[in-house]
Amino acid sequence: MQPFDHVSATSAAAAVELLQQGGPSGARVIAGGTDLISLMRDRIQSPRLLVNILPAAAALRYLRFEADGALRVGALATLADIERDPHIAARLPILTQAVRDAATPQLRAMATAAGNLMQRPRCWYYRGEFPCWLKGGDECFARDGENKYHAIFGASPCVAVHPSDLAPVLVALDAELTIAGPGGSARTLPVERFFAPPTDDERIEYRLQPGEVVSEIRVPAQPAGARGAYVKVMDRQAWAFALVSVAAQLSERDGVVERARLALGGVANVPWRVAAVEDLLTGQRLTPALAAQAAERALENAHPLTHNGYKVPMARAAIRRALLAAAGQEE
Amino acid sequence: MPVRIITTHLEFEGRVSEQRVVMEGDEPPVWGEDAELRIVGKPTPRVDGRERVTGGATYTYDIQLPGQLTAAALRSPHAHARVTRVDASRAEAMPGVRAVLHRFNAGDLIDPNRDRSVFAEELPYAGAIVALVLADTREQAADACAAVMVEYETLPFVVDPEAALQPEAPRVLSDRPHNKLNDEYPQTYQRGDVDAGIREAEVTVEARFETPAAMHNSMETHGATAQWDGRTLTIYSSTQDIFGVRRAVAKALGLHQNQVRAIKQYMGGGFGSKFGPHESGLLAAYAAHRLGRPVQYMLSREDENVAAGHRSATIQHFRLGAQRDGTLTAIEQRTVGNLGALAGWFPATAMATKELYQCANVRTIDEGARTNLGPFAAFRAPGVVEGIAAMETAVDQLAAALGMDPLELRLKNYAERHQDMQRPYARKLLREAYEIGAERIGWATRDAEARRYPKGRDGTLRRGVGMASQLWGGDGGPPAQAQAKLLPDGTAVIITGTQDIGTGTRTVLAQIAAEELGLPLEAVRVELGDTEFGLYSPPSGGSMTLASMGPAVRMAAAEARKDALEIVGHLVEAPADALDIRDGGIVNRETGREMGTLGSYLEQLDGHEVTAKGMRGPNAENVTVRTFGAQFAEVEVDLGTGQVRVRRIVAVHDCGRIVNPLTFSSQIEGGIIQGLGFALMEQRVVDQRFGTVMNANLEQFHIPTIRDVPEIDIVLLDRPNTYANTLGALGAGEPPIIPTPGAIANAVAHAIGRPVSGLPLTPDRILDLLK
Amino acid sequence: MPNAPSQSPDAAPTAAPHRTVHLTVNGIAHEIEVETRRTLLDALRADLHLTGAKPGCGMGDCGACTVLIEGEAVYSCLTLAVACEGRAITTIEGLSSSDGELDPVQSAFIAHDALQCGFCTPGQVLAMKALLARNPHPSDDEIARAMSGNLCRCGAYPKILAAGRALAGHPS
Repeated sequence: MQPFDHVSATSAAAAVELLQQGGPSGARVIAGGTDLISLMRDRIQSPRLLVNILPAAAALRYLRFEADGALRVGALATLADIERDPHIAARLPILTQAVRDAATPQLRAMATAAGNLMQRPRCWYYRGEFPCWLKGGDECFARDGENKYHAIFGASPCVAVHPSDLAPVLVALDAELTIAGPGGSARTLPVERFFAPPTDDERIEYRLQPGEVVSEIRVPAQPAGARGAYVKVMDRQAWAFALVSVAAQLSERDGVVERARLALGGVANVPWRVAAVEDLLTGQRLTPALAAQAAERALENAHPLTHNGYKVPMARAAIRRALLAAAGQEE
Repeated sequence: MPVRIITTHLEFEGRVSEQRVVMEGDEPPVWGEDAELRIVGKPTPRVDGRERVTGGATYTYDIQLPGQLTAAALRSPHAHARVTRVDASRAEAMPGVRAVLHRFNAGDLIDPNRDRSVFAEELPYAGAIVALVLADTREQAADACAAVMVEYETLPFVVDPEAALQPEAPRVLSDRPHNKLNDEYPQTYQRGDVDAGIREAEVTVEARFETPAAMHNSMETHGATAQWDGRTLTIYSSTQDIFGVRRAVAKALGLHQNQVRAIKQYMGGGFGSKFGPHESGLLAAYAAHRLGRPVQYMLSREDENVAAGHRSATIQHFRLGAQRDGTLTAIEQRTVGNLGALAGWFPATAMATKELYQCANVRTIDEGARTNLGPFAAFRAPGVVEGIAAMETAVDQLAAALGMDPLELRLKNYAERHQDMQRPYARKLLREAYEIGAERIGWATRDAEARRYPKGRDGTLRRGVGMASQLWGGDGGPPAQAQAKLLPDGTAVIITGTQDIGTGTRTVLAQIAAEELGLPLEAVRVELGDTEFGLYSPPSGGSMTLASMGPAVRMAAAEARKDALEIVGHLVEAPADALDIRDGGIVNRETGREMGTLGSYLEQLDGHEVTAKGMRGPNAENVTVRTFGAQFAEVEVDLGTGQVRVRRIVAVHDCGRIVNPLTFSSQIEGGIIQGLGFALMEQRVVDQRFGTVMNANLEQFHIPTIRDVPEIDIVLLDRPNTYANTLGALGAGEPPIIPTPGAIANAVAHAIGRPVSGLPLTPDRILDLLK
Repeated sequence: MPNAPSQSPDAAPTAAPHRTVHLTVNGIAHEIEVETRRTLLDALRADLHLTGAKPGCGMGDCGACTVLIEGEAVYSCLTLAVACEGRAITTIEGLSSSDGELDPVQSAFIAHDALQCGFCTPGQVLAMKALLARNPHPSDDEIARAMSGNLCRCGAYPKILAAGRALAGHPS
């Protein structure tokens, strides 16, 4: 870890201010630090200034259901806060499911909701000493290398996958972010659009302007009768990033799907929303056959690499299960 | 006491050696079936539990000496290279940096176990050490490491073991003519005629089985803290073998062994990887000696995983032949072992192949391949875990080909005698283990149960039951020495030079001593882990600690007890053999009269301590002492996602008398859980293009978590093996890991209805098998 | 490795920033002067000489460094000491009372042999402690979930579950 200066912010606005003092690329906000500290330890990132935003917890650590049913999640709410919240468990169990199998209890107690969305890929070339494309190099070493844990979708030069469990669920819930910016400005942005595959110019999986700070995640009220399910496939029973994960959110009326959302984790640089399947499901009765058809459709455009072909049948199975579970057809 | 020298034989991890042992006096008679024991055999919480749960236990990593420097290493990023230049000038000028050691200023440090400079010119794997920084703080050491400039000349490399054995392969070590382990490889063992056996077979099976390189990942990494006071080099080492550390460090530094003191009180796991000082211990000692300041060098997790050993990967080919009735006519095993660059031996992959089943025609071929990867190290039953997994899955395939029950096939070919050495086993309870295990797992209904599935949301959950056999040594042997002291207050100190590596050695030795002395357990303290006592003890490995040290402790205690009773007899004017020590008190054997505490007599002797020595006697000749056992696994396989969940393991192991059922069951559980990890998830991943280990950490190299643990049903066969030693006890460290992967693999094959191709049984492998 | 990065293009400046940090550890107030980059784990071990929290991986993968901050189990290797200004920290050394009486969690670990080498044990004990403080009667599944961030390579897990069950008041 390189030396750095450390300052504290007691509000999002103060953090924005301090970030600007730190210069364009030399300053980073730190909250739980669960990802940033290990990136800094391995010298993958070496900010000159850390703005510790945890002292802003009084303002930014909350979970609140609005009268209309929307859920507001303060940026500094931890994954453990979400996991333990009885109202979320009752009203948005898909969110509870998403955090329950994320990381470990200790990491969930440290990691914040906003920070979780901004964690960087676990790709071992990125995390290792390889001068990979995502770190500014010329080549993605995973593309023709050890890519068992890598992407089966997407066109980015980087084939790492997004590691978050929360992100696909928030996409499936049509969640939005509130982002504080310089001069007291604020903007809102759908979570889905916050994520974008890394490009030559912006080698990162999310889009935040310099000096911006995420202050809130808002999950809009879901239609009456909406239900969701999150299915995570791991290669051990706990503490593993998803090989494949599926967030499915369905609203049905009279047994017919009115609206469907399907987002996959562990398959692309970003949470992978599958609009074609959502269209397929809409207006239909969700049967095992339809779920299977949806799973086939979702994987139609997959292009696995040398060592991750298994993700295709695995994702199909996970999609079938998530859809049936969301429709209340679990055994 | 007359001294005599006896020649005996010792088996360590499948290798038999001759050993000369000095005996003074005689061991007490063996504790037989009818021995009435008060403390031995009772579940006993660890005597050092308090230290371990309060943070009071000082591990090597926790040693903090005044002025101690901390060390960090710079390691080669190349699979094969020569270091041509090291410029440490900038690093040396950084704050807190006291020295940077490397080839051009410390090339004279030779690793005596490898006969090679620690800072070698040729770096035969990615992760080979190039420089060691010594600084005041960890942060400063890391900064300085990053500031050392190194020039490399890269060389061709090979990491695939089969490719490495091709004649045109790049040389792993440029001064060797080939990449074979040595000129004696491939090594062939043969009895009978395998080709004839295959010809006469009515059914044959050929199977290829791969096992991965699995990293030990002891929670405490390798390392040491060393201090040189001008006369003595004291080294605190996270080691399973303090005497091995002393020997190697003395040799490396040009000191006499008595100028080196090796200490290990608590260590965070070893599992076979921590024999000898490792280069980290040599470096700590060398730097402390050279700089005149205490030095601590503990490996980072990543360095641990590339440079401190792993279970070597194998590719095994089995050929089995049998008659229609199941009688085996041929067993052939060819094993290519991926041994890494700096290997010195070949793991015992063929041990069970030669011995487990009755068969006249057996051939095993070991091909040891050097590759440009880090060195492997012994890992809990090295080779035997891999060999049994491959053979037992092949046996199940043979059973399927014969249309026979796999257990019936095993019983059909049950070996009553050691077929290679042509002599009896002291005891073999394997048949009983099969029967008990089969009963507990519900073997008879396993096919019917499997048909009651599929279950699950989409009907893709399958159930399977499989089993595998276990064979191992574990009878220990000499030399092993102990001393017993009865103190004036009537309590005892047992002094040994052994190590408690987490198995509970300290506790079982205290139980044995208390039993023999007639003292309550609390009145016995066990000292261990310090070469200063001068009482030689073997390395803590090979499941031999209890079976080697226990008898020595027992003899020392018996001698001390005898002496104490002589003294008391003199004081009370009674013959010593009319007296006894029971629960710390003196009792008249005939009348049962209680005569006060032992301490009340000893304290009359003006501080005299009753001191006696004990040693492990020779092993039994003309008989083979083995632990045998079997495990049965029940698994669920999700055909949709490829996930395997182990639901239950039934473990039946004969390890002779069980001294402490509590810590014994912990050993069994721990072995099973490590075996489960090896079966399901542990696998080193190497990028073949660069020879880089990709998952040298605990994030991407997965070991079991608490949620991966199945129900474990342990059946204790608690019967003394009177041939083994005076306790009748055998080691339990390695037996429990041996059959687990094979049992799980066979259960998975049963569940999916097709053979498995190797380990680990990760979801991707299962989904590939199902394609 | 391809084009292995040349060593340290931007080596550390000569003076790393320091801060004075106030920590209450096991009920005792401390003031320490540390580099901003010092982790809580290193501060506890090197500055306060409390070596009960162990370095196992340095990146939040193993749990050996677990300590309690305001009662919550966290990884001290991923926590900056400066970020703990004014916080109350409990390490394993603070769990037993000053007269040496063990915490029930510690006693249960000994009685059930919920440890082997013991290196991960301080972290395991503290993780269990945090669970029971929040949920005095956890189910087996809740115990396993709460303990899933603490690896034990010796495999003491069945006994850790047994200890947890006893502490939760389940019949054994």
